[in-house]
Amino acid sequence: MLLAALAVYPAFGTGYGVRAMLQIFMWIALAGSWNIISGLTGYVSFGHVAFFGAGAYAGAILIANAGWPWVPAAAAGGVAACVLALVIGYPCLRLKGPYFAIAMLGLNEVLRALVSYFEALTGGGSGLSLPTLHATVPIYYAMAGTAAAVTLLTFLIITSRFGLRLMTIREDELAAEAMGIDTARHKLYAFLLSAAGPGIAGALAARDQGYIEPISVFPLATTITMIVMALFGGKGTVWGPVLGAVVLFVAQELVWARFPYVHQLLFGAIIVAVVLLMPRGVLGILQLKYRLPRTI
Amino acid sequence: MVGQVVISGILAGALYAMVALGLALIYGVMRVINIAHGPLLMLGAYTTFFLYSAFGLNPYLSIPVTMAVLFVVGVVLQRSLVFRVVDAPELSSLLLTFGISIGLVNLAQLAFTSDLRAVEYLTGSIPLGPFALSKTRLVAFVFAGGVTALAFLFLQRTRLGKAIRATSQSPEVAMVCGIDVRRVHMFTFGLATALAAAGGALIAVIVAIQPEMGQVWTFKSFLVIVLGGAGNYPGALLGGMLLGLVEQLAALFLTTQLSEVVAYLLLVVVLLVRPTGLLGGRQT
Repeated sequence: MLLAALAVYPAFGTGYGVRAMLQIFMWIALAGSWNIISGLTGYVSFGHVAFFGAGAYAGAILIANAGWPWVPAAAAGGVAACVLALVIGYPCLRLKGPYFAIAMLGLNEVLRALVSYFEALTGGGSGLSLPTLHATVPIYYAMAGTAAAVTLLTFLIITSRFGLRLMTIREDELAAEAMGIDTARHKLYAFLLSAAGPGIAGALAARDQGYIEPISVFPLATTITMIVMALFGGKGTVWGPVLGAVVLFVAQELVWARFPYVHQLLFGAIIVAVVLLMPRGVLGILQLKYRLPRTI
Repeated sequence: MVGQVVISGILAGALYAMVALGLALIYGVMRVINIAHGPLLMLGAYTTFFLYSAFGLNPYLSIPVTMAVLFVVGVVLQRSLVFRVVDAPELSSLLLTFGISIGLVNLAQLAFTSDLRAVEYLTGSIPLGPFALSKTRLVAFVFAGGVTALAFLFLQRTRLGKAIRATSQSPEVAMVCGIDVRRVHMFTFGLATALAAAGGALIAVIVAIQPEMGQVWTFKSFLVIVLGGAGNYPGALLGGMLLGLVEQLAALFLTTQLSEVVAYLLLVVVLLVRPTGLLGGRQT
């Protein structure tokens, strides 16, 4: 029912409605991807928006400079993000705890600086404009597909031996290693899987908006938003990021319209409230109270 | 040219070291990485600006006042919010302090607007042999060095300073020895915020003040304490000097835009070779 409704929605919905749904799909893909690396292995990626930005720039450059159609460009965005994850993950996943979080935070700042610097390719600080194309509806489906793929991927991981190994790393990395799990390799795989979604979503978002600039695709606030969404719904669960993305996005849209001046302040307050009051998230709390399947 | 750059790097390094010492103290004692450190520095800069513009107070004389005001702000923040994430997993503390951080920046935008402000006090530079030293940066170096030295003296000599170091080595043993760990946490956060505020006051005379000036300082302070070894207080000095030098050298040989990239590469390399920082693994 819900799937059918979402599938036919662009035919009936308003322009604003379709765009809002597209944004929700994007946030589901982002929050779900963050959940794969951080919710399952416990390695806090504090710069996950770096993959979103890398995908956005890879896709935009291919569309604007090489004349690619947007579908292969979006796939290339995912590949670019995975390559970045491989290069960064190999050294950085050996770092523990806050060091990994900081290294990821720094990665994001560095990418922004690099993108601003290589002006010939990226347009530098003044940004990159894409040729006009009215394709909001096809992009709506592509983004919906990305969100669904990330959620399905999470389900497949959580129900697999691979997922169990990741969660073992989260609970006790030393014990996991002692049990013969190749932790470095598993973390790297999870990291690669968690980079693909944001890469594709970034390229799609770039195509949809038609214009990108360093500050619009590498904001720390985007990382935080995806983390808070995953945390609100319940990290380490399949449906938590989906729930968090929907609830918080709707809440944010309502707040944005009514309180433009203090909206950042309210965002800060929401973060503080989620961290202090419900660190386990909605699904985490429900799992404690009722005996829910672990695969929810 | 290189000599000039080395001098600029060292001048900047003392400022980095002082601000980062605050972050290192909070991390060492509470295992909290305080994303709001930079925005608190921004509040310090505004305090100095308003003391200067409203009361005509000399920006350098205002440093103790600014530090005292932000000390109180820090204690209040710790008592109201941060104490809940002490020793929590890093995700909680990172997110909580990020929430505080954007709250502070937004409040500053509402209260002070986003207009650029400046404290025009000392201008020009002093020639020293073949080199030219910016007056404001030279004075900032002297004050930052002085405040950092006082902070170290405090940590080494006073009872409270010893309690802080004991708590950062082992909270449980400190508690058994009769140290009021909760009070130590409060005081540490206040002291760290005051150090950031002193940085803000000195920076206010050098660059333009605006609500978003602080974030970059959070990241720089991270770099410094990780280079020096998180939780290792003298490490902050080494890290600060190193960051100052690397930034200036990168700006000279590459471009200013890439200095951040070079600093980051340095960070990754140091973390890989010595995961605990250059002076890490040895607590004071």
